[in-house]
Amino acid sequence: MPYLRDFFTAFGEKFIEKIKPGDIGGEILKAIVPSTVFTIQIGAATIRITDATVVSWGVLAFILALAWWMGRKPERIPAKNRQVIAESLINLLMNLCQSSGMSYKQAEKVTPFVGSIAVFITLTNVTSFLQIPPPAKNPAFPVALALFTILYVVFTSIRMVGLKGFWRSLTYPKPLLLPFKVLDYFIKPISLSLRLFGNVFGAFVLMEFISIVIPAILPGVIGLWFDLADGILQGVIFSYLTVIYIGEVLEGAHLSAAESDEIPDKALSSAQKPI
Amino acid sequence: MDKGLIALSAALSIGLAALGAAISIGIATAKAVDATARQPEVSGRIQTVLLTAIVFIEATAIYALVVSLLLIFAF
Repeated sequence: MPYLRDFFTAFGEKFIEKIKPGDIGGEILKAIVPSTVFTIQIGAATIRITDATVVSWGVLAFILALAWWMGRKPERIPAKNRQVIAESLINLLMNLCQSSGMSYKQAEKVTPFVGSIAVFITLTNVTSFLQIPPPAKNPAFPVALALFTILYVVFTSIRMVGLKGFWRSLTYPKPLLLPFKVLDYFIKPISLSLRLFGNVFGAFVLMEFISIVIPAILPGVIGLWFDLADGILQGVIFSYLTVIYIGEVLEGAHLSAAESDEIPDKALSSAQKPI
Repeated sequence: MDKGLIALSAALSIGLAALGAAISIGIATAKAVDATARQPEVSGRIQTVLLTAIVFIEATAIYALVVSLLLIFAF
């Protein structure tokens, strides 16, 4: 059917002429390069403040205001919505920590860090729905978060089970596995940061592409998934994995202590039996 | 380097990784549905395990995405 083919060829040419995509690659390239908002001069050194830093400052201020508002005038029996919401969120996190093998006291210690990481990542990712570039598209942001998180995991688990318990968790099923378990602590931050960076960056490039090619309606609809749902999911997954990593160390220490028929002194408080 | 070759390799890397990840997420979800149907009382725990597994499977696809983005923008 030559007629139909001619029609579609002509239609396609007209369509492309009409929307004028221009240099899509160039525009996307311009969007992904971190833009310098202002610079600070300290002596001879010049510090570039990029958009990622400014956006995360904004989000931090927002979180501070939110935390102040939600924690204002707490009551023993919560009647206000804001206190109920805050308490149920914290309760959710506490339950997650306890189901991954921590005692109540340990969960209380871990919850503030993990909760703030979750809220921070979620809110910074959601900013892309308001056409503000998300900071996680700059690779430095997820790498810094992941490094900080893995240091926190190591130090917290050492504080919970002691150095001996940590060593036991490294050599748990067989001492032969020691190099791989040590290597694991270098792969975990890479995996954490690449997951966050890849998801947010991929979603950002795709949304830029869509809003360049079809600027009406469609970006808003697709953004519901790529900006809102995916961003919230990444925040949840990041904090969830942090809890899982701490739980893994506790489980290894407990199981190996149970095998050698002695209870590590510090782990006595976390009497919950690992499954 | 040849630009077409770079585009082809980027498309191949993300395509093959997406193929593997999609198949394995499908298998994992099917087994989780099976397990939930057999033992509905532990559905909460199954859901947690499924979510963890999907996160780790998805990570492979994300690595391929990062590699293909690097191929496109770094060369």
